Amino acid sequence: MDNYANSKGSRKALSIFRDIIAIAVTLIMLFPIYWMIVSSFKTSDELLQAVPTLWPKVFNWQNYPNALKMAPFGKYFFNTIVMTAGIMVFQMLVGILAAYGFSKGKFRFKNTLFIVVLGALMVPIQVTFVPIYVMMARLDWINTFKALIIPEAVSAYNIFMLRQAFMSVDNSYCEAAKVDGMGRLGIIFKILTPMCKPTLITMGLLTFIGGWNSYFWPKMVTSRPEMRTIAIGVYELKRSFAGLETMNTNEIMAGAFMAILPIVVIFMMAQKYLLTGFSKAAMK
Amino acid sequence: MEPVLENEKKIELKKSKISNIKVEEFKDFLTVLPALAFFGVFIYYPLAQLFNISFTNWNLIKDSYKYVGLKNYQWLYNGSGKAELINSLRVTFIYTLSEVTITLVGGMLLALLFGKMTRKYAFMRSIVFMPKYVGMSTAAVVYAWILNGKYGILNYVLNIFGIPSVDWLTQQSTALIGVLFLTSWRVVGYAMIIYLSAMQGISRDYYEAASLDGATKVQELRYITIPLLSPTTLFLFVTTFIASMKVFQSIDVMTGGGPYESTNVMVYWIYNLAFVDFRVDRAAVTSILFFIILLVCTILTMKVSDKSVNYDS
Repeated sequence: MDNYANSKGSRKALSIFRDIIAIAVTLIMLFPIYWMIVSSFKTSDELLQAVPTLWPKVFNWQNYPNALKMAPFGKYFFNTIVMTAGIMVFQMLVGILAAYGFSKGKFRFKNTLFIVVLGALMVPIQVTFVPIYVMMARLDWINTFKALIIPEAVSAYNIFMLRQAFMSVDNSYCEAAKVDGMGRLGIIFKILTPMCKPTLITMGLLTFIGGWNSYFWPKMVTSRPEMRTIAIGVYELKRSFAGLETMNTNEIMAGAFMAILPIVVIFMMAQKYLLTGFSKAAMK
Repeated sequence: MEPVLENEKKIELKKSKISNIKVEEFKDFLTVLPALAFFGVFIYYPLAQLFNISFTNWNLIKDSYKYVGLKNYQWLYNGSGKAELINSLRVTFIYTLSEVTITLVGGMLLALLFGKMTRKYAFMRSIVFMPKYVGMSTAAVVYAWILNGKYGILNYVLNIFGIPSVDWLTQQSTALIGVLFLTSWRVVGYAMIIYLSAMQGISRDYYEAASLDGATKVQELRYITIPLLSPTTLFLFVTTFIASMKVFQSIDVMTGGGPYESTNVMVYWIYNLAFVDFRVDRAAVTSILFFIILLVCTILTMKVSDKSVNYDS
């Protein structure tokens, strides 16, 4: 009896110990974001104190307007939204059509052609960016939305995931719709798409976040400040202080906070979709 | 007369049916055509183009170029490019292996720690997972501040514990470690989520049987959890490996490849060859090599996995 109580007690101690570790780890993971926000409100003097303060003594709101003055953030946001929306529309549309063809469609060489799609997964933009850049330059697309959107317009990964989702829909639904006289596009957009809504939402969210955060390709094909996107913009803001970055870290952090805020909000609202999306990807 | 007519009708019907099927097949084919055309233009054509460019002496500032045979390959194989290549490969592999190790070990440890299915733990999990979605370049700007040699909070904390300040990003020996701080922060939460969802797929029976046999928690981990998670580990290994090989943003923002080339990873090097030196020809050769390395690594891990992965879950 005594022994039993003892082991119960030690189990409780262990569980408290676990809670403490878990909370500590969570705080460490949260710290960079916290530190960014806190730094964005400090004055330059407080920022460079020998002993850093965990909470601003005075809130210097002026950092935000200053950051906006140093770099055209409004333009960055606008460009990012246009680019991301364009990529999303194309990826969804082309992806849904192709996923239908490769799951429910019947045509010759279907499997061979699907390997062509899977092969695209093996060739990342980090390998082909030089020729694609040359192509964009020849078309005179540098510093245009065409260059930002079109090379990213189709995602092999999305086609693959959507095909999986469409295959899990029973064929009888499509057959029944066909008997009712529904055309191909009707079946795709009125039957299959609504039935795979969760997959599509996850995909849409990931595409949006990916576009918002994309850095590599936008950096290649834009050089004019008014065509830059937000992921590059924060770095540009930092560089605009040439040599005086440390002194102006508060304003840089203000810019950084503005850049990640939309993503953090989306993450909080939609994490259900993001979490399940990933587990599915790993289970395949 | 009549039966013949009937027959003709039938044949005609069959014919129209066949052509109807053909039309349907063609329409199905049309649905995949845009995607295929896209991959042709933006994946396979550029890939072929890489080889084409690699045989030229193309310099972005010059208008014309001519074919020079294997000159660029020689530059990489035993010319001035060789030392740069060896350095870049070394840096890339050190970075990649560190990143993969941190992801797998860190992800597993976090999954064990945060595996409790309560609301408070779910909340903490989502915080640990969130960095994955914070833009890399933005996070890199923040980390550069945290790692700042003079005013950075990390050095301040180290000083409290009696450890002297480190110039993380501005000295050769620690710059890569500085970058790893950031990339690990972004990826361990993701690995945790993947591991956790796989752990939920492991049948309770295994653990019940083990505890009946008097197995300790550590033994359960060693003989049940880790072996049964091997497909997940492989998935994480391959995806993290490939993603780490392609690292660019964090390097670009935090170190710019330096100091003294100590963080000059493959993609960053290729980028500089093309857009700083304007030597598109050399960039093309290096891209080809990079592509082959990625391909070989992927195929190798897949091959190894077939033998050593336990799919019994």
